[in-house]
Amino acid sequence: MVATDEELVARSMTGDADSFNQLVLRWERPIYALAYRVIGRDEDARDVAQETFLRAFRALPGFKGQAKFSSWLYRIALNLCRDWIRRKKRTPIVDMPEDVDFIEMAADQGPVESIEDLVARNEMSRIVAEGMKLLPDEQRTAIVLKEYHGLTFQEIADLQGCPLSTVKTRLYQGLSVLRKHLESQGVTSFASGRAS
Amino acid sequence: MSLMFSCDDKATLVAYLYDEVDAADRQRVDQHLRQCAVCAAEVGALAGVRTGLTQWAPPNAELGFTIVRAGGEPSAASHPAAAVPGPPPWWNTVPVWAQAVTAIFVLAVSAAVANVQVKSGPGGLAISTGWMTPAAPAMATPAAAPPATDESWKPALTALEQQLREEIRATRETGTVRAASRPSDGDDATLRRVRELLAASESRQNRELALRVTQLTRDMNIQRRADLLRVEQAIGHTSVEMAKQRQTVNYLIRASTTPQQ
Repeated sequence: MVATDEELVARSMTGDADSFNQLVLRWERPIYALAYRVIGRDEDARDVAQETFLRAFRALPGFKGQAKFSSWLYRIALNLCRDWIRRKKRTPIVDMPEDVDFIEMAADQGPVESIEDLVARNEMSRIVAEGMKLLPDEQRTAIVLKEYHGLTFQEIADLQGCPLSTVKTRLYQGLSVLRKHLESQGVTSFASGRAS
Repeated sequence: MSLMFSCDDKATLVAYLYDEVDAADRQRVDQHLRQCAVCAAEVGALAGVRTGLTQWAPPNAELGFTIVRAGGEPSAASHPAAAVPGPPPWWNTVPVWAQAVTAIFVLAVSAAVANVQVKSGPGGLAISTGWMTPAAPAMATPAAAPPATDESWKPALTALEQQLREEIRATRETGTVRAASRPSDGDDATLRRVRELLAASESRQNRELALRVTQLTRDMNIQRRADLLRVEQAIGHTSVEMAKQRQTVNYLIRASTTPQQ
């Protein structure tokens, strides 16, 4: 039986570090992914993710369970990302992983994905990353939380501290900027199966 | 709520795009999209952007964060562990100025209790503690004793000088050299002492020599192991490079031989 976040939090509050480490194991990758997509640097995203869990551990006695543990973690991580961006005073830069080896990746992918598809996918990833870089922080964060973490509009509004309508506006404006950027890069056709 | 969907209602359009609308709104938007080509194209394009977003993945980083308490055993030694200190000690919550004032106060009370007395005089600085009568300055600081003013040592010195002169004269008269005569008992003891010192010195030098030789041997072994490791790493790196080259060639061959579709 897998313990829920709430159960692990309760045990962690009694001083059980192992329970908290289970929470870390469960949430480290989403938090890292969030930080990476918001600030765009691998090493800094790792630092932010680690600092998120450290702060969460220290602040655990103050966590009263008003929000979900994951929302609480997201809030800490987003605050750290915002601090990072302010401190560095630089636009988030999205780095492609340095050690990408297309040949090895092709070997890992097997016969399903051809090298051409793989190269196209990496090119698409690069273009998307560049487009995300163009967005203001609020729009980028809203899109990241919605697209990659599946938060509801209301949850994003709570995290960003803004009205629900503002979240929808940010999403619409962000997606529109990305649309123009993709079109400017010659990307015009998608399999639009995600539209509801 | 209006019955017709407006093209300017982007909030509802986004909600429709993410499937966070109620059934009534969904029906309104669906109906509108069937009639409005512009909105239909926009929804299609935005859905395409969402598809494009799925292509952006963060690097597959190895994380493995582990929380350990400071001074405790890490739960997973192979993972990078972030040491978390316990709660801050209580004195960290006291302002620095308050800590300084408290320290001075404690020092002053301690000095008063111990009856510390610091005296400075011609004999130098004298410090005494306790409630007993302080010792005489001459005892406390013997180096600071006042210089002797009487000249009682002069006759003794004169007598000593006289005795030495007489002994020298007697030696010249006998014509013998004491140094060449049979060593007395005192000389034997000195000789034994010198031999012992020489033996001890030789033993010490031998020990130091052995220590240095051992050290040198150990250094050479460490250096040899480091060199071997470096060579092995260089060989391993070369092997990896060769494997990559081989893989590249294989893929090129495979790609060139695969029929175009």
